[in-house]
Amino acid sequence: MRVVVVGAGLAGLTAADDLAAAGADLTVLEARDRVGGRTHGIEVAAGSWVDAGGAYLGDRHTRLHALLSELGLKTTPTTMTGASRFALDAGGQPQTRPGRFPPLRAVALGELFDRLDQLATAVRVDAPWLTPDAATLDSLTAAQWAEQNLPHRDARRFFPLFLGELMAADPATVSLLHVAFYLRSGGGAGYLNAFQGGAQQDRVDGGAHQLCQLLAGRLGQRPRRSGRLGQRLRLAEPVRAIHQDGAGATVHAAGGAYHADAVVVAVPPLLADAIEFRPELPVRRAGERTGRGCAVKVHLVYPAPLWREHGLSGWSLSTAGPLLSTVDDSPPDGAVGVLTGFVTGAQARQFAGRTAAAQQAAVRAQAAHLFPQLPPPISVHITDRLTAQYSRGCYAALFGPGDWTRRGPHLTTPHHWVHWAGTETSTEFFGLMEGAVRSGHRAATEILSRYQPAGRSQ
Amino acid sequence: MTVDAVRDIFRRVLEPDASSVGPPGVGAPGIGADSDFFALGGDSLLATRVLSAVARECGVELTFDDLLRAPTPAGLAGTIARTIASVPR
Ligand SMILES: Cc1cc2nc3c(=O)[nH]c(=O)nc-3n(C[C@H](O)[C@H](O)[C@H](O)COP(=O)(O)OP(=O)(O)OC[C@H]3O[C@@H](n4cnc5c(N)ncnc54)[C@H](O)[C@@H]3O)c2cc1C
Repeated sequence: MRVVVVGAGLAGLTAADDLAAAGADLTVLEARDRVGGRTHGIEVAAGSWVDAGGAYLGDRHTRLHALLSELGLKTTPTTMTGASRFALDAGGQPQTRPGRFPPLRAVALGELFDRLDQLATAVRVDAPWLTPDAATLDSLTAAQWAEQNLPHRDARRFFPLFLGELMAADPATVSLLHVAFYLRSGGGAGYLNAFQGGAQQDRVDGGAHQLCQLLAGRLGQRPRRSGRLGQRLRLAEPVRAIHQDGAGATVHAAGGAYHADAVVVAVPPLLADAIEFRPELPVRRAGERTGRGCAVKVHLVYPAPLWREHGLSGWSLSTAGPLLSTVDDSPPDGAVGVLTGFVTGAQARQFAGRTAAAQQAAVRAQAAHLFPQLPPPISVHITDRLTAQYSRGCYAALFGPGDWTRRGPHLTTPHHWVHWAGTETSTEFFGLMEGAVRSGHRAATEILSRYQPAGRSQ
Repeated sequence: MTVDAVRDIFRRVLEPDASSVGPPGVGAPGIGADSDFFALGGDSLLATRVLSAVARECGVELTFDDLLRAPTPAGLAGTIARTIASVPR
């Protein structure tokens, strides 16, 4: 059985790994000149790697944990002890407060979380389009809902920060049904928001990009049953078209055409939509209102985690931006101190449009204002490339009004020989690395159960 | 608001799955009058939901710091009682 996998991110390589283990004759086509997709490591000091893409995971991310231990990778806890810094009033001085709780009316935020919980609980997570009242929920943006349902000013002020941090979403463009679904899919607002005991509990020691590098390495080492030579993984090979007939599929990439009995398309929806399908898809993978998600990660490197000496956790929240939040991502060996700043949602779109020099200046000015007790960072690394050409959406695609009700029912339905993977096809832990891994296993299982019985003849 | 009523709020916030099946008003077995909300696994997000429930059920708006200072059912019930007593009627 010949299988072509399109996309060498976590989803595509998980599927490829399962298929290769089952003896499929496999080719993985990747548009970029590297594997990993939305996971990407950068070396900020000799031997110290940080995650410019996906980073955090929690105990409920069971398939990701299984993969990590299979590949011999370790995790390291995200440190979150000490006081936080809050800059929530335009022009005012930032304040220090114990823990992570912002100086806003607690009851107002509690009502916000109560309402979000009600929405999430009501969602049919495995099929959001079948949620009672799905059509109404999917016709509203999160901003319209907030306008109507959040009487307290503090809740309205906090909501965009929360959605930005959690989903990199701008409330004005994301569908309310998608927000409700996302919360439920990830284990609830509480789990998604939490560090210890939640989705940000740990990071991959040395960087999450190692997952895809090791999977790719393993792919090269698996014996090929057919005995044919040739590389299984082809980089810089963007797929442009997939043509299918009764006999199979032909995948047209920049460097040539590949014939296959089955194809896994493991790319984000906006990029899947850019591939030409013949015959056409019954429903397009993305539409006018499908949001890109927008997140820029900024790494501020210090000689050591100096904020800890001041009793600070490194956590901060700012309404004015560009960094809406910061978190301590220092490597466990303490060789350097790293604060990761998040620029998300509407802020990120503005920020990404500025020159590199203007971005650096804005980040350094904000760091000095937020953390006057610290010296200026040794270096500032800004990764907005990830939002670029071959991701179109960070952390993940954001379904806009109408997307779930129109496209949801087709999310994982094979199109002839084409099967779908990618974190945006997983109704469990959608948008996260865990969702990507689960989607890869699912796509591989679909293909193996469909083709394996006939393929046993060899 | 009684200590048991606060225990019940803690339980609903900390064990949402249990609250949908268990009868209301029965204190949670693992949550005593002197159990610390944060030691039970409560975090700042869940804490806000305790405070919104208190506001809904007895009309008293407490702050996050109130809960930090009195993070147990007995302690919080005391804070609520003092707050009500201090409001001129
Ligand atoms: C800044 C940032 C922070 C994040 N933080 C977290 C986090 O803390 N925790 C977490 O769990 N998740 C996080 N995520 C999300 C996580 O990284 C993704 O969910 C996951 O990596 C997606 O994997 P994937 O395989 O589905 O897609 P991708 O990684 O996007 O892989 C798709 C691959 O397909 C390739 N491709 C695209 N088009 C084509 C084409 N036409 N032909 C061939 N190849 C193509 C791409 O180059 C890419 O390599 C974050 C993401 C970003 C960007």
